[in-house]
Amino acid sequence: MRTLLHDERLRPWLLLAPALTVVGVLAGGAIVQAAVRSVSPVRGSGETGLTLSAYRSLLADPELPRSLLLTLYLATTSTLLAVVLGIAAALALRQVAARSRWLTTVFQLPLPIPHVVGAVAVLALLGQSGLFSRIAGSAGLIDDAASFPALVFDPLAIGILAEYTWKEVPFVGIVALALLRSSRVTEQEAAARSLGAGPWQRLRHVTLPLVLPGVLSVAVIVFAFSFGAFEVPLLLGASFPETLPVMAFRRHTDISLAARPEALALSLLMAAVAVACVALAMRVARRTIREEGR
Amino acid sequence: MTAITLTSLTKRYGTITAVDDVDLTLPDGEITALLGPSGCGKTTTLKLIGGLLTPTAGTVAFDGIDQRDVRAEHRGAVMVFQDHLLFPYLSVGDNVAFGLRMRGVGARQRRRQAEEMLARVGLPDTADRHPDELSGGQRQRVALARALVVEPRVLLLDEPLASLDPHLRDGMRELILDIQREEQVTTVVVTHDQEEAAVLADRVAIMFDGRIAQVGTARELHDRPADAEVARFLGSPNLLPGVRSGRIVETAAGALEVPHGTAQDGPVLVTIRPEAIVVAPASGPNILAGRVRDARDLGARVQVTVAVGDTQLTLVTRPDALRALLPGSDVRIRLPADALWAMPAPDPAAELAFRQDVVEGVAPVDAGTRTQGAADADR
Repeated sequence: MRTLLHDERLRPWLLLAPALTVVGVLAGGAIVQAAVRSVSPVRGSGETGLTLSAYRSLLADPELPRSLLLTLYLATTSTLLAVVLGIAAALALRQVAARSRWLTTVFQLPLPIPHVVGAVAVLALLGQSGLFSRIAGSAGLIDDAASFPALVFDPLAIGILAEYTWKEVPFVGIVALALLRSSRVTEQEAAARSLGAGPWQRLRHVTLPLVLPGVLSVAVIVFAFSFGAFEVPLLLGASFPETLPVMAFRRHTDISLAARPEALALSLLMAAVAVACVALAMRVARRTIREEGR
Repeated sequence: MTAITLTSLTKRYGTITAVDDVDLTLPDGEITALLGPSGCGKTTTLKLIGGLLTPTAGTVAFDGIDQRDVRAEHRGAVMVFQDHLLFPYLSVGDNVAFGLRMRGVGARQRRRQAEEMLARVGLPDTADRHPDELSGGQRQRVALARALVVEPRVLLLDEPLASLDPHLRDGMRELILDIQREEQVTTVVVTHDQEEAAVLADRVAIMFDGRIAQVGTARELHDRPADAEVARFLGSPNLLPGVRSGRIVETAAGALEVPHGTAQDGPVLVTIRPEAIVVAPASGPNILAGRVRDARDLGARVQVTVAVGDTQLTLVTRPDALRALLPGSDVRIRLPADALWAMPAPDPAAELAFRQDVVEGVAPVDAGTRTQGAADADR
């Protein structure tokens, strides 16, 4: 084993092996199994061999395009919000946090709190019978609870976005803050400053081009999560249209076994869309960063 | 054209004083070197001049105008950092044009000026390359071009040669000197290498512990160090403690006539450059009788260690003298009075601290042999 670990070519693979095994067996295995079962006929349906009927009925579902749009809208909007607000917060924290360490701690507070807790909090705050509604009512701004603007179960999914923002801004922010504080970034900023770049010029021409590639990988995680998470949309989303994960969850738990292959087909479709989106976004973002630096 | 005046310049970080009450004038159009060991505050001073740091106390003035309220980006004092700090997401040409872009110069003219400047630093036709494709020496040249293209009032160079291989240093040094001669831009060079300071700078300011210990030409510093610390830092191997009484200093090696340096009677430290000591003189004052301890052939010259009683003296002489200087043989040496220099004796506390540094291997004890060792290692 010792000699194996000393082999320069072998060592990285050996060190990667445990992680690759877990990813390969669990994620790969799950995808393969889902793929196989999504094309297998349901017992008792009379069909034999492989069938694409689950995909056919799924794609024929008129709800699917609207759900797909809603899910993409949610994932994209929440990712953009998290990136923009996260970087802005990190820039602000870098300015002041040298003096007040507690501010950074407060900023990170949402990180260990589960999403479900956040969702319940959003419900209690933003719902039509929530705290803000009651405050508005007693202040005489609205006549009754029903005239409070729909921020939860609404078509724009503001409640969901609020919850995602609350949770993901610190996530992006903490990574951005670490990047901003690295000597690589601060020294390049000093070099730019010495060459005559003012504060906004430094931000645009030096800080962002250096920080964005790192933030991009976090943005991918945020996007993939927002795209695939079902508990927050289930709690805070409108009943129609549903997001894709909620749709898949409902079919998984459907009383009819016939819905099972459809749920798996939908899950695979989601995975494909998410991967395609991430690949596209990375390409566009990389090119933009390169162009921006010019 | 800018003369720089530092007045009581101080920078503190908590309880640590990085720059301690520095008064220094850097003449217009000259190269001044800030020379000192690492951690002596020389780079901090450079950043204070450039406005990248704000002084705790004191002022930086350009041509008599206090720069307190002038931001770094408006000072026109451009710093070239030790590890070049080229922007990794920009081409070489765009790196050089960066400062022009910040000043709103149009794309065409930026490109033209960047290419001109790249040609001047010896890197024509590299504008479209990526910094990663260049060698360390080339990147340092690009960093210099990037600074020069904005026509700075003041050029601040932080260890410009330290990150370069020895064979690249000469070229970079010549380039800096050539450009400086043409542009006459007031330049401050930070370095820990006394030879670099001597070759590059018109004047050298030696710094220890945030204070300026001595300012002068390299020759003045070398021949007439202000104190024992400066002498030791510059690698002076011959330091003789003694007691002055009039023109005569009584040392363990004997009585010496020392007309120059500290004139006050009492304890002093006497120094002499190895090359000033004369071997086997016929007669004259300041002659000492000793025994050759060691003689090393350094090629162009011979370095000889002579013991006079308990005192060791290092001298450098021509190779043809080697045969007469076999270890163990008796030798007479003369310390010419004009080459001897008396300094105030260091206070005992500083002396103790120095000895501890020597034990820990921080301070150079005998820079002559040390440099020799380093040269051997390089070969």
